Amino acid sequence: MHAREASRDEDPAGAALAVEFRDATKTYPGADAPAVDALTLAVPAGEICVLVGPSGCGKTTAMRMVNRMIEISSGDVLVGGRSVRERSAAELRRHTGYVIQQIGLFPHRTIAENIATVPRLLGWERERTRARVDELIELVGLDPELAGRYPGQLSGGQQQRVGVARALAANPEVMLMDEPFGAVDPINRERLQNEFLRLQAELRKTILFVTHDIDEAIKMGDRIAVLREGGSVAQFATPAELLMTPADDFVEDFVGADRALKRLSLLRVADIDLWRAPLAFAGQATSEVRAKLEGAEVPYALLVDSERRPLGWLSDSDLARDVVPARPNSSPEPVLDLDDVMRDALSDLLQAESQYAPVVDAQRRIAGVLSVEIVSHFLTSEEALTDEHPAAEREFVEP
Amino acid sequence: MSVSAAAITVAQAGSDFFRDRSEADCIRDNGAFCAGWVIENADRYVEPTLEHAFLVLVPVALGFAIAFAMAVASHRARWLVPPFIGATGVLYTIPSLAFFFLLLPITGRGNVTAIVALTAYTLQIIYRNIVAGLANVPADAKDAGLGMGMTERQLLWRVEMPLALPEIIAGVRVATVTTVALASLAVFAGAGGLGNEIIAGSAITFRTGIVVAGSLMILMALAFDLLLLAIQRHLGRWRVAGRERAAGAPRLRRLRAPGPERA
Repeated sequence: MHAREASRDEDPAGAALAVEFRDATKTYPGADAPAVDALTLAVPAGEICVLVGPSGCGKTTAMRMVNRMIEISSGDVLVGGRSVRERSAAELRRHTGYVIQQIGLFPHRTIAENIATVPRLLGWERERTRARVDELIELVGLDPELAGRYPGQLSGGQQQRVGVARALAANPEVMLMDEPFGAVDPINRERLQNEFLRLQAELRKTILFVTHDIDEAIKMGDRIAVLREGGSVAQFATPAELLMTPADDFVEDFVGADRALKRLSLLRVADIDLWRAPLAFAGQATSEVRAKLEGAEVPYALLVDSERRPLGWLSDSDLARDVVPARPNSSPEPVLDLDDVMRDALSDLLQAESQYAPVVDAQRRIAGVLSVEIVSHFLTSEEALTDEHPAAEREFVEP
Repeated sequence: MSVSAAAITVAQAGSDFFRDRSEADCIRDNGAFCAGWVIENADRYVEPTLEHAFLVLVPVALGFAIAFAMAVASHRARWLVPPFIGATGVLYTIPSLAFFFLLLPITGRGNVTAIVALTAYTLQIIYRNIVAGLANVPADAKDAGLGMGMTERQLLWRVEMPLALPEIIAGVRVATVTTVALASLAVFAGAGGLGNEIIAGSAITFRTGIVVAGSLMILMALAFDLLLLAIQRHLGRWRVAGRERAAGAPRLRRLRAPGPERA
């Protein structure tokens, strides 16, 4: 049996596997109702699936079924098409990454020893383990000097990175993460989330991610399963679908009244139809510009250089001259990028108390103009496609 | 208890020590500490001291082995903990002299009786500390260990025991110091040790002999305790490391560095 396990571990691919819940049910002895009731969910390989819901909805229980930390009462969980019940619990867990909220580092072992836990259990050779530990320390962005320290000497954020490195050590088929950033302060949480997403873009693991925070779910998830009490799926959808068309009142409540605003964090400026401003070049006759201004979407002319890079907005006094001046009266700020997230773009716009902001492409050439009006119009028009009448729509339309 | 009694005697002796008296006067007056006599008769204490150390080390070692086996057994089968604590507790409450006399018909006069009784006394302290140490292992470390694929046995030996070790050694320290004191009563079981010297001294009411034997016991208790403390510190160095960070130790260390100049 040892030999067979070893040969499996030599397989360097560690390919991500799909996870499938099939009517998975957990009833604790003596409990009236199941903690997880006939959960059916298919998580494609290489995606982050977030299990989100109020406390007591069974999300952690469901996640722990995958590595048999919780034994399934009925139904099944398949990893890569194979039932977890067919595998020994220890063998299954050694091929399943596991990160918990309290991190659970071993305080008596150094950082390097902590990360080497699963490779050691799998009987890797010393050299291979050491190389892997070094690789992981770098991968999760830890200072190599920390390798010989004890967990008690590290900050919460550093410990969290060690926890992720330890879970990744033996290149698991599936990762289970239970509120992995829950115990970290908000500023570091944001950073750890971003780093983890960057890591995942490279690693493409299948990840089951448990959280009670809908914002974290929207940020981290390729797909989100909203669970209601009793562990049944209220909705399983992409973040955008979840925000646009919540399946029922429960999901709508859980997602929050500000879901219209939340959707802005899923969009980039490039996803929106921008307006076009009349462009003006230095030395051009102002009469031409004034002619373009009539009936234009944006009632101001934007001065651009020969590469069509925005220099500033032309004022009425600029346009009262015969030719367009080389230097404009007002700066073009804020200048937005096509890649900017819509929520940040709107924030910039409001911050600058500006009605219009030029949007530029990667070469800093003008690509269009964003205005608060476009944003509100976009939000209301999308909402109009659904039968729902959320608070966001009323606020935008009625005043 | 006899350690503290000896400590009081030593304190009294301290005040006599500096009085300028001739050695002969000291012995004639039965002074508390006649230094000249002690130096002359130092070799008569070597054997009792070694015997005493034997009467401490063997019972503590045996007691540790038995208590450890009991703790491992009751870790698997939790229902064993209350009966184990009860049984070792009963042993602990038997008065030591009564214990010796109860054992005499079975094991006879000599070391065996003393060792059996002294071993029995260590069980309660050591067993309780091992159980408490294992119970105090953080739940998240256990959850992480199992979640990464450790078996129950691997979890016990790789995570739980190492984390409980500082507390286990703390129990051994208390048991050792207690046994140093209790072993002085082994004389009633017919075993040797420093207790013999105290009995002999009190029989002829020679105070210096009692003080020397008592002092040697205190020194032995201190020596064993410091040795075990060093072991405890070494095995729990990860703990110290954690505390250092919490107390902002790097800064303290920098402050301490120019110490010699200050002096």
